[in-house]
Amino acid sequence: MTILITLIGALLFAVLAPVVGCLLAGLDRVISARMQGRVGPPILQPYYDVRKLLGKERVSVNSVEGTYVACALVFACLAGGIFYTGGNLLLCVFVITLSSLFFIIAAYSSRSPYAEVGAARETLQVMSYEPMVLLMAVGFFMASGSFDVSAVFSLDAPIVTTVWLVFLGLLFILTIKLRKSPFDLSMSHHAHQEIVRGVTTEMSGPTLALVEIMHWCETVLFMGWVGMFFVWGSPLSVLVAVVVVLAVYFLEIWIDNNFARVKWQFMLKSAWAVALLAGGVNLAVLMFI
Amino acid sequence: MAMLGFLIVFPLVAALLLMVARQDKARDAIVWASAIIIGVASVALVAMNLGTQTVLFEFSSPVVDTICTLLSCVIVGVILAFAVKYKNVWAGVLGLAQLALSLYFELALAHGMSVPYGLYVDSLSLLMAFIIGVIGSGICVYALGYMKDFQAHEPEGARDRRPTFFAIMFVFLSAMFVIVFSNNMAWMFTGWEITTLCSFLLIGFTKTEEAINNAFRQIIMNLLGGIGFAVALILCATQVGTLSFYEFLVIGVSNPAIVTLAVVALAFAGITKAAQMPFQTWLLGAMVAPTPTSALLHSSTMVKAGVFLLVKLSPIMLVCPVPSLMVMLVGAITFLLCSFMAISQSNAKRVLAYSTIANLGLITACAGVGTPEAVWAAEFLILFHAIAKSLLFLCVGTAEHHIGSRDIEDMDLLFERMPRLARYMMLGIMCMFIAPFGMLVAKWATLVSFVDMNQIALIVILAFGSAATFMFWAKWLGKLAGIAGEPENVELTVHKSEWSAVLLMAVLLVVCCALLPLISTYMVEPYIVSIYGTLGQAVSADNLWIGSIAVALVVIVLFAGVGRASKARTVGVYLSGVSRDNAGRTFQNALSGESTATVRNWYMEGVFGEKRIAPVGVAFNTIIMVAAFVMAAIGMPMML
Amino acid sequence: MAYASKSPWVIHYDGSSCNGCDIEVLATLCPGFDGERFGVINTGNPKHADIFLVTGSVNAQNIDVVREIYDQMVEPKVVVACGICACSGGIFHDCYNVIGGVDKAIPVDVYAPGCAVRPEAIIDAIVQGIGVLEEKAAAMKSAKKGA
Repeated sequence: MTILITLIGALLFAVLAPVVGCLLAGLDRVISARMQGRVGPPILQPYYDVRKLLGKERVSVNSVEGTYVACALVFACLAGGIFYTGGNLLLCVFVITLSSLFFIIAAYSSRSPYAEVGAARETLQVMSYEPMVLLMAVGFFMASGSFDVSAVFSLDAPIVTTVWLVFLGLLFILTIKLRKSPFDLSMSHHAHQEIVRGVTTEMSGPTLALVEIMHWCETVLFMGWVGMFFVWGSPLSVLVAVVVVLAVYFLEIWIDNNFARVKWQFMLKSAWAVALLAGGVNLAVLMFI
Repeated sequence: MAMLGFLIVFPLVAALLLMVARQDKARDAIVWASAIIIGVASVALVAMNLGTQTVLFEFSSPVVDTICTLLSCVIVGVILAFAVKYKNVWAGVLGLAQLALSLYFELALAHGMSVPYGLYVDSLSLLMAFIIGVIGSGICVYALGYMKDFQAHEPEGARDRRPTFFAIMFVFLSAMFVIVFSNNMAWMFTGWEITTLCSFLLIGFTKTEEAINNAFRQIIMNLLGGIGFAVALILCATQVGTLSFYEFLVIGVSNPAIVTLAVVALAFAGITKAAQMPFQTWLLGAMVAPTPTSALLHSSTMVKAGVFLLVKLSPIMLVCPVPSLMVMLVGAITFLLCSFMAISQSNAKRVLAYSTIANLGLITACAGVGTPEAVWAAEFLILFHAIAKSLLFLCVGTAEHHIGSRDIEDMDLLFERMPRLARYMMLGIMCMFIAPFGMLVAKWATLVSFVDMNQIALIVILAFGSAATFMFWAKWLGKLAGIAGEPENVELTVHKSEWSAVLLMAVLLVVCCALLPLISTYMVEPYIVSIYGTLGQAVSADNLWIGSIAVALVVIVLFAGVGRASKARTVGVYLSGVSRDNAGRTFQNALSGESTATVRNWYMEGVFGEKRIAPVGVAFNTIIMVAAFVMAAIGMPMML
Repeated sequence: MAYASKSPWVIHYDGSSCNGCDIEVLATLCPGFDGERFGVINTGNPKHADIFLVTGSVNAQNIDVVREIYDQMVEPKVVVACGICACSGGIFHDCYNVIGGVDKAIPVDVYAPGCAVRPEAIIDAIVQGIGVLEEKAAAMKSAKKGA
């Protein structure tokens, strides 16, 4: 039964998440433009971009790239389905990692020098944020007593009250996960700090459109992780969570517009230090007190 | 019980026959036949006893005891002979020390003690029998083709020593069966020592200076472990008063104080065999041996004997803090640091070796935690590690013979050069580190069991170690996945026997991953229930089935979806300039000359280099083990 | 509705020139003129671009580069020659090494003359280019349906 619900959830997620994610991406671009003193594009601009990409000629550097990217998208949707149907948080984390792996292999398979540099950096990014993500899942368990996301609805107080340090850690690595400055090493949305185009160098037309859609899905999933910290038994709490998610998204945009890309050493060390401090300390306190 | 006897004796018969057979054809026939027989017999054993609790068999024989004593002497004799021949003092001293201990034990203590139930079967030994019987003999089959190529690379006129090689491989299997089926700890010890000697001979097989040095390193470290085992036996005889492993475990759980030192000593033996830091160097050194040896040592035998012992001890670990802490910490630190060091390696076999040690570390840590959930995780780690690692070793071995290198950088474009092999290798790699494959499900259970026990240090270590694991596997996977131009296909000359073994592992892998929930119900849970009386399963069946669906999806994509001609127009890659030869990634540079773009993977020597990390682990773990011994030894007289 | 016209991503290449037009193109893409209002994004990768802005003339050294960038762009695509040098070779047209305007190397859809070409002219040219892009996209679509 759970399996069926999860699969239906994944299908629903595949339909709805791109809509929400697209609007969030549009919002991102408008707000970024305003921060830079510009008017910016229409809010549906990401949608236009993807529609245009889908209409372009289908070209590829090899026969497999598109398949890998499609896999990445499918598993991102599966992860979303698991999360939003209240499934196991660890499984969700693992499946989204599988999705990133397929994205990385897609870039590696092209064997283009620029794409490979991007792929190697994307791998490094995964390595940087993975400890914190796992510790987040453990923190969730310690605060809610279950790995099932649905457990938050039976709580008396949101889990952020006990694992606020883990939440801060998640905010830190969220920037890496969303590939925003200063941690946009593998691919940047801003041309001025990019080696050609990182991971997506060889992806064009419809394949690139799939990548964009995958990013929308990822954004919706990660924002769900953020919101999860603020949900408890009260139905009103969902509203609170939405407000927090929007605030966090705004914060990410602000960070994106105010920092230049850092070197990989700094990213790795800082992300691991944050995981150790925020995750480790918070969990230790929960265990021993 | 006849089946157990058959599994122990039959490989020995095969080994004898192999010593005699000098022709390739005869050897092929014997190896194929005995491998199939052993495989079928072990599967039959598993099938007949599926879901069994512990079953002890009444079997004791002074003849066997005497044979064991004699074998111990012979083993040490061989070691001493080699030590004298190559002038290795340490091996000689340790060999003599072990001989003295084991003779004292056999003659002075063991004589008066009989173990009426000499053999036993439970679900854990069934799992091990399956691994040894199917994977171990699969590797023997693989070795047929591999050793033909190996012999062809030998200088002209070199003596054909393949009969010895294959004989040792089969003796190895027999010794492993002895270890997993013996309830009499003295017999188990003999099996233990035989595996040590066999791997010594196999590592030193090529007789190069490096091989001999590494073989001696192996024997010195494992003799230390053997001495630990012998000390444990003496303690068992004098303090606990039994040599039956089953009784020992029962007494240990009910009265942990009197077995503390014995368990510490046994765990130490297990740790040396499982190549945990600071003993990791012997397994790394074992890489000089022909690849089937590495595969055998890493996946189904030798190191698995070490973790098998530790997992058997885990019920005692649950109630006995000193060995538990030692095993847990040693395992966890090994897992973390070896995962880090694997990042800095470009030699495929060394990456595999570090990953083996790291995963054994995880199993060790699980055994140290000792809860039902942790044992569930440990058993799955053992199973999936055995299959995936042997698949990977076999693939690397075949690749090495066909591309002439075991460096990951040289495996560039393998996806086109050896299309089938590369896909198998990718499958094996994915199974090692990514959801929804077996290893990750096991890691998931590990994490849950650590959380249940509030082991904060282990949780943090697992989180960081897993991240490092992602890095080194993903970059290898990426190297394999590359496609450029139309390189020549070099896999047409791969031997049939090699394909059969690789295919066997790949099929096993997929089947085990897809049927993981069933394996859990019928093979793993019965053991846990029989030992703990409760069921501990960290991952719910629903989630396991979601994983199975995802496994099916990935496998279909890998073997059916990838590599077909697509409708898309194929174009060259972007080289930021004028391409001269786009398939070769050559472009016109600023001086109108030609440059070729090459990308190497990231090894981050400065951060994760062996020189930086290994000493830390060696120092830490040595201190931990010494401390454990001291604490156990101090605690001992107080308890008595 | 043609989406090709709503998200023209541009790539910019400077051939043999005095760099004046080059600077003007970059100025056009800067926040001051806010090309993103129309969905314009400056990419560094021909595989993602729809409109190719070329400044400067073509010479023996760069003709292959211009061609390769053009070839790597994915259909439908449009070329805009920015500045008089890109249109015809300009004051360099009779230099010993200059071959001529960009149309000597690749088909040009829109010519935007000027020395240096003004941002307004470039925006105008891009808008015209969008029209061509739309036509090409429509042609591609109908060809696909016909096939």
